[in-house]
Amino acid sequence: MKKCEYFKDLLLTDYIDGELAQKIKLELDNHLLVCPDCRVFAQEVKKRTVQPFYNVSAQPVPGVIWETVRERIAGKQEQYNPLEEFIRGLKNLFLLPKPVPVLASVMLMFLAGSAALYTIQVNQTKEKDQGEFLVSLLDSNGWGSQADNNSFGTPIEHYFL
Amino acid sequence: MQDISEDILTRASQGDIQAFEEVYKTTSSFVYNVALRIVNNQEDAKEVTQEVFIIIYNKLKNFRFESAFKTWVYRITANYAINFAKKNSRIKTAPFDEALGEGAVENEAEAHIEEEHQSQAVENLLKEINPDQRACVVLRNIEGLSYQEIAKALNININTVRSRLKRAREKLMAVKQQVRGLTAADTL
Repeated sequence: MKKCEYFKDLLLTDYIDGELAQKIKLELDNHLLVCPDCRVFAQEVKKRTVQPFYNVSAQPVPGVIWETVRERIAGKQEQYNPLEEFIRGLKNLFLLPKPVPVLASVMLMFLAGSAALYTIQVNQTKEKDQGEFLVSLLDSNGWGSQADNNSFGTPIEHYFL
Repeated sequence: MQDISEDILTRASQGDIQAFEEVYKTTSSFVYNVALRIVNNQEDAKEVTQEVFIIIYNKLKNFRFESAFKTWVYRITANYAINFAKKNSRIKTAPFDEALGEGAVENEAEAHIEEEHQSQAVENLLKEINPDQRACVVLRNIEGLSYQEIAKALNININTVRSRLKRAREKLMAVKQQVRGLTAADTL
């Protein structure tokens, strides 16, 4: 009985549509030989769900459809301006972020930033050195007593002083 | 549906209206008939077909030839028609006597009556199932697509195709069971 239910499911689908694997089809065909209930069911399925659709004639396509489609397409083409489309394409080409140019731009900005920072640092160091030099000059002229206190007693110090 | 050359598709994607007309001529019968069966109404089928071709025109430049053009068109058509049918409340379940196709005009020529009768019977049968199931039945039973092709066209799992077909057919069987002895389709 359970087997009959299984076969009836197949009769409603794969069997009637010729989609069943050969092995199972053979098994089902053998079952139909010995099971009158399934045999009647198979005939009913074919008669009531498949045969009514045999030889259904195709309906002619109303001519008005193409006329409407053509008019709508023509309307779209009138709106279409090749020059505008070309300009839009160019804009997109330049405005859309492309991976390589974007990466190159980022790298360039990073390098420019680094160079600027380096220049500022060098300038600051120079200014600092000059400041220290001026202080040392002032000290050497006796305008400050810090140099004495900070003297290391090196030969180069003695030379300049 | 015939295959369309890559050259025509490329030209159509670039806005060549004559090339797009070729695409339309090759695919419109399929698109209209699938739409008609899914939305089950001629006026709605016209609207769906128009919209499908506008979508095809707009998206053609993005078509990459990785999948078959046919599958791509199936997908756009079936999905648009299913969504349209779901939104549209005009689709109502037909009474059982309507599902038998009793609306055929008796005074017309016999062949024409037969054709009308069958078309009406199919239309009424399809009203009995929901748009998702209807799409599977139409693509399988009328268009002859395999389960794999239906799965691709509707962008669903192949087992979902199976279960939708099973439920649709169970419903069709149930309808027919209730009107046993009166079925017009029995005479087909």
